[in-house]
Amino acid sequence: MPFWAQVREIARKDLVIEIRTAEVLLMTVPFAAAALVLIPFAIGTDAPLLAELGPGLFWIVVLLFGVLVILRKSAVDEGPQQDLVRLLGIDPAARFTGSTVATSLLVLLFEVALLPILIALYNPDLGGWWWMAAVLPLVAAGLGLLGSLTGGVTASLGTRTSLTPLLIVPLALPLLVGATQAVESLQLGRSILPWLVLLAAVDLALAVSGVLAARPLEEVTT
Amino acid sequence: MTQPKARWLEITAIVVVIAAVVRGLTVEADVTQGDVQRIMYVHVPAAWLAFLAFGVTVVGSVAWLRTRRRTWDRLAAASAEIGVVFTGLAILAGMIWARPVWGQFWTWEPRLVTTALLFFVYLGYLALRRAVLDPEQRARRAAIMGIVAFIQIPIVYQSVNWWRSLHQTSSRNSIDGPLRLTLWLAVLAFTFAYAVMLSRRLELARLEDELEQARLAGTPDVAGAAITAPTLEGVTRG
Repeated sequence: MPFWAQVREIARKDLVIEIRTAEVLLMTVPFAAAALVLIPFAIGTDAPLLAELGPGLFWIVVLLFGVLVILRKSAVDEGPQQDLVRLLGIDPAARFTGSTVATSLLVLLFEVALLPILIALYNPDLGGWWWMAAVLPLVAAGLGLLGSLTGGVTASLGTRTSLTPLLIVPLALPLLVGATQAVESLQLGRSILPWLVLLAAVDLALAVSGVLAARPLEEVTT
Repeated sequence: MTQPKARWLEITAIVVVIAAVVRGLTVEADVTQGDVQRIMYVHVPAAWLAFLAFGVTVVGSVAWLRTRRRTWDRLAAASAEIGVVFTGLAILAGMIWARPVWGQFWTWEPRLVTTALLFFVYLGYLALRRAVLDPEQRARRAAIMGIVAFIQIPIVYQSVNWWRSLHQTSSRNSIDGPLRLTLWLAVLAFTFAYAVMLSRRLELARLEDELEQARLAGTPDVAGAAITAPTLEGVTRG
């Protein structure tokens, strides 16, 4: 089977499992939405302040709750599943890419589901927000790549649910900086191109690291 | 037992550290900041050492993935541990310096925040190592993480250039004369101290590995050995 066909099958498998359980859409999205509702009670319900802080809070919620998307049940292959994938001769790089594609798509879905909730609750300035069509996928891809890498190194560990967020969140700094600075640049009427380049560069670096580390990651679960 | 080479390294390190301490305490005070500026002789070298230590961790990680030799894994782990200590020291020294100069211990400026996150990245790396008992699995997982974690280093280094901030861009260019010489001496002293700590930690890691292997090579417990029969006054009921 060609490489990209393997990638498509692995991604399809993860997405089918997710569609059956609907963990992201029915559990993680409402949980994150509840956080967006609760935050104003902690920082004050001043409407102009919330409009100003809204975009930053959105990215923080995406980062922290996005970890739950990465840790979802469908992202974990049990022993028999891993054995089957190996017996089928799936390339480790295709497996990494496939699971990254699935996670990235789910993070993107998570972002898109949260965005109208943020706009409704916080009423941020929407000038130039169509650029988000570029920012959201780049952040989703970055989180998906980080998730596959860190999820790979913590696979089958008892402390996985505690350890993975500790590994992901500090490493997601460039993604958070790129996303927040892009939105700020839009509000100030400046070019967001440098921040898109930063996000793309981080994604590329993570993608290269992931593909190179795919075989050792495969051996982790052997 | 300490080897002659290591002994000489330690003696040199002690001499250079003493020279740096004496020089740091006796060199003329900075015209604008006064004695507070002397904290820079700890803060800057500690930050440099953190970068160096994490760089060595990457080298060890890549080398382990290529060769699978335990020495490289021990090098990566030992250097990361020391790097975390030096990162913590750099943050602490920076906070002590910031209080009188900036008026507060902590400001939300890019270099501070990125350095704090760097600290957490490598705490995560060390936590990962502790979470895996099997040496081979530990080395494999840690090697991947050691390489990925290094992505943070250029961001910390460039943060003062990429974003407007209170933090000065580079200490090398902002001071001159005797102060600059003192800073270089402090960097040298910290580098020697790092070399000694790394050498000692590697030796300790080697001994830990030998102990672990000796334990594994010992007589295996028979099935059910973990369950011992109840005892009464020191007598085992058989």
